[in-house]
Amino acid sequence: MDVEKLKLSHRHIKEALRIRKVEEKFLQLFSEGKLNGTVHTCVGQEFSAVAFAGQLKKKDFVFSNHRCHGHYIAFTGDTRGLLAELLGKASGTSGGIGSSQHLCNNNFFSNGIQGGIVPVAAGYALANKLRQNGAIGIVFIGDGTLGEGALYETMNIISKWEIPLLIVCENNFFAQSTPQHLNLAGDIRARAAAFGIKTFKSDTWNPELLMSEAREAIEYVRDETKPAFFLVDTYRLNAHSKGDDDRDPSIVSGYRAKDFLQVFENDSPSYYKIYQDAISEEIDHMVEEILQEKDLPLSAYYTPAEQLTNEHWTPIEPINKRQVELINRFFKEKIEEDPHTIFLGEDILSPYGGAFKVTKELSQLRPGQVFTTPISEAAITGISNGLALNGFKPFAEIMFGDFMTLAFDQIINHASKFHHMFNKKVNCPVVIRTPMGARRGYGPTHSQTLDKFLVGIDNVKTVAINTLINPAIIYAAVYKEQHPVLVIENKTDYGKKILQHTFKNFIYEQNQDAYPVVRIRPAVSKANISIVAYGGMADIVAAALEDLFIQTDLKPVLIVPSLISQLPVDLVAASAAETGRLLVIEEGTAYAGIGAELVAAVAEISKTHLQMKRIAALPVPIPSVKSLENMVLPDKASIISQIKQFFT
Amino acid sequence: MAVVQEIKVPLLAVNDTTLTVVEINFANGAAVKAGDQLMVFETSKTTYEVVADASGFVQYFCEVGNDYEVNQVVAKVFELSTELEATHQPAKVNATAAPIVISPAMPAANAISWEGPTIFSDAAASLLAAAGADASLFKGRDFVSRADAEAVLGIQTASAASNGHAARPAPAPSKTVATPVVSNEKWVVEKLTSGKKREINYLADIQSTGLTSTINTLVETGGIFVHLNESLRYLKNSLLPLLVYETARLLKKYPVLNAYYTPEGIAFYKEVNVGFAIDIDKGLKVLRLPATNEKTLAAIEESILSLSEKYLDDKLQIEDLTDISFTITDLSAEAVHFFRPLVNTMNSAILGLSSIDEKLERCIISLSFDHRVTEGKQVALFLKELKTRLESYRADASYKTSSIACFKCFTTLAEDITDVGFAACIQPDGQPGYICQRCFKGF
Repeated sequence: MDVEKLKLSHRHIKEALRIRKVEEKFLQLFSEGKLNGTVHTCVGQEFSAVAFAGQLKKKDFVFSNHRCHGHYIAFTGDTRGLLAELLGKASGTSGGIGSSQHLCNNNFFSNGIQGGIVPVAAGYALANKLRQNGAIGIVFIGDGTLGEGALYETMNIISKWEIPLLIVCENNFFAQSTPQHLNLAGDIRARAAAFGIKTFKSDTWNPELLMSEAREAIEYVRDETKPAFFLVDTYRLNAHSKGDDDRDPSIVSGYRAKDFLQVFENDSPSYYKIYQDAISEEIDHMVEEILQEKDLPLSAYYTPAEQLTNEHWTPIEPINKRQVELINRFFKEKIEEDPHTIFLGEDILSPYGGAFKVTKELSQLRPGQVFTTPISEAAITGISNGLALNGFKPFAEIMFGDFMTLAFDQIINHASKFHHMFNKKVNCPVVIRTPMGARRGYGPTHSQTLDKFLVGIDNVKTVAINTLINPAIIYAAVYKEQHPVLVIENKTDYGKKILQHTFKNFIYEQNQDAYPVVRIRPAVSKANISIVAYGGMADIVAAALEDLFIQTDLKPVLIVPSLISQLPVDLVAASAAETGRLLVIEEGTAYAGIGAELVAAVAEISKTHLQMKRIAALPVPIPSVKSLENMVLPDKASIISQIKQFFT
Repeated sequence: MAVVQEIKVPLLAVNDTTLTVVEINFANGAAVKAGDQLMVFETSKTTYEVVADASGFVQYFCEVGNDYEVNQVVAKVFELSTELEATHQPAKVNATAAPIVISPAMPAANAISWEGPTIFSDAAASLLAAAGADASLFKGRDFVSRADAEAVLGIQTASAASNGHAARPAPAPSKTVATPVVSNEKWVVEKLTSGKKREINYLADIQSTGLTSTINTLVETGGIFVHLNESLRYLKNSLLPLLVYETARLLKKYPVLNAYYTPEGIAFYKEVNVGFAIDIDKGLKVLRLPATNEKTLAAIEESILSLSEKYLDDKLQIEDLTDISFTITDLSAEAVHFFRPLVNTMNSAILGLSSIDEKLERCIISLSFDHRVTEGKQVALFLKELKTRLESYRADASYKTSSIACFKCFTTLAEDITDVGFAACIQPDGQPGYICQRCFKGF
């Protein structure tokens, strides 16, 4: 029966022809001005889609790239959803939000970022392996993607962790307009082989052989629970996108002649005509129908939500435990309670337990749920994204906040986008934790506060814990999130206990938001300066409050938000309206920072004139030498002197 | 307006009813510009400069070295030189000056009772000191800013406040006659400075009763600085910060030593504000370490240094010198074997620190006390406990984790979360030190 299936049948030819006709239709619609945006067609490469995506089981999955239409049709059979998607209609597979490069339907995902999908696919496959459900996955890349580092980070890990993922490299010898010999060094298969990954090779000009070798590779991955790498030589008969083709026409026409569908048309013109006419008619009919349909209304895509900060305040109690112990205790509870909780990061196995000991003893409790990783921030984050897409709750640790830059593509172009660009079909509840902050002498690249780069990302919450409130309260909310959360911890806060230094004349309280705001206010007096600080800075400002009053003559109320991607603007504005003064203190630099955002947002809704100021680090890399480091960062003395200068 | 500025003797501290003029900066009739320093007063605590508010011609009604009653006019600035008064006699007190009277404390609109301490801002504290107002007016408040103080004192504007001094009925006019310096072949009598006179008054207050006594005790000091010097940044090999630190904490347990005698009974201070005596070329002063019992050793050391700096730079504020509940005097730098300190006014005791005998590895601490407030038994118990506490800092086999810090990253062993411990090492400057595992091995 299997052997029967493997023989190239007219069903496979019709499938390939359907892909080609859809692609040609897109080019026609584009030239008629009916397509918004762009298309990358796979004319000439159709049999790769049929051989790989077409031979998977329903429980398997596919991650594809910008040239994904063929893979989509072969795996899902949903021609109509694809057509509607590119025509920008609400009935499109991604509601018209994603269009050509961002498709999602029943375990099929595509994204136009080169390389970035590979670790996400690895994470998705890892989730299947953890479930032991026998499902595998394919990730399609092109030869152009061989230049991306995330691919190599991932190949190292999937080989080491034996993740059942088949990487299919469709080698069409051109990266957009650039011929391969200008950009590619060495051997393609040797790249995968160097990581100990089994490799295969075939081409699209002999579809029958390709089909059987693809089947062999798929079975290898499934049976051995190991990754494989499949190089498929092929040729794109059309331009990279629409008209951008500078290739020698004589070479292209050579490939056109050897194209299997061309050969089939020459050999069996009557069959070809029957198939082509039927498919074209079907497509034309669908397009006609789709063109009558409506676009997605804005209200179905986005509804503005009014943000109201909870105003019920309750006292906070000190906890005689270090912050790091409290986080660690929360993680221990969760990993035991929920088998879908996964921890990934560098050096996180016990006894070391992470550079700052946050994950201590987790791997002893649940060895199968803790993954120590190579130094591969893009892959750590991408794999976490894939796990999250596939129903797990990953907590990725980025050892230093400074290294978040290496995970940035995964945060911005993947985690942040999946939910919306796939028209809310999926959620990606990934958690990425990292310690920011200086005052340890670690210097320019291990001391930064990069928070301002991590806020304002669509659909991503950025949370900063502090020493004034139990971090487990905040992590409990993070744990429940259905969308990505970045948690900023602070190196100098880990060793501190919760609310250990309080002044008698101030009241310490929190509100009832999921991410509580902490407020420290004079016991009886009305405050006359509102100060906002968060994260590690909150500890420093809280400790300075009494001296701040004595030396500046201003009675401070300190507001400490923990959800910094959505600041409690209403609360801060109300407080500033009462005090007449607003000061925002942050450890990062001021320009376009958290303070800038808050001051602007308060100014927008303020009805009275307020004196407003930001205090932040000086705009230079953080020096290692203690004396200079102290001068570059805001501290008690510099805060008090700036308040005196500005407000009094 | 003929007189553009009238300079009266300000009331800067409750106890100073007279001030000494120590400097006159212009000749009589000289032209002055706004902002020029006209004259300087000396108070029991510090000096006070008077500057011209506007341009004009100055005329003084006082002489350098003499004392003048508060509110007495000692100089005027006239608009025109022709207006200068003919007389150079000290003027009569200007009875028309309207004193600012403290109104009863304003009833708070939302009368929430606050039983905790009241914290004054620097600006409020100096205003109160200038007005001679009593801090108890502000009982029931958590924070007192300058505006709060002005509201309670009934002062309308900041400029009024800067002038405002007469917090109580103006003192009756009296002539102040300069004591002439007597000189003959055998001796020269120099007039006592007002500061010295006040010092005598302060000390006589308690000592003159004859009811004071002193108890001494020996403190073993061998090895005491081994760990202590790691906590101290500047005052290495000094016992003073530790003595202040431990005394401040003990005073909570021995409230009679943090108190003073009044004919109506014993007044107990609610806060522990230890003062330390200092005398380096600028006169004997006792400087206040506020809420001493809540300060860390490092904070105490820092306060001692910053106050000493202010003392040397003549930048002391009134609040640095008032509300001292207990005094420590440190003569250990002067090769003193032991001595008997004298109890200050409004204190019940004073602790004296003598020099460490390096050979015998010990020093003597002496506590003089007002027998009307306490007695020898209590003081002996206090000293015994203090001695035990001080001696507990001597090095033994175990180390204080909070005092061991990595010389590279300043993490203390107490903060360290690796559970591996620190390695003892030689720092690049050749000094012994410690290094944490992380700095030692790297990440």
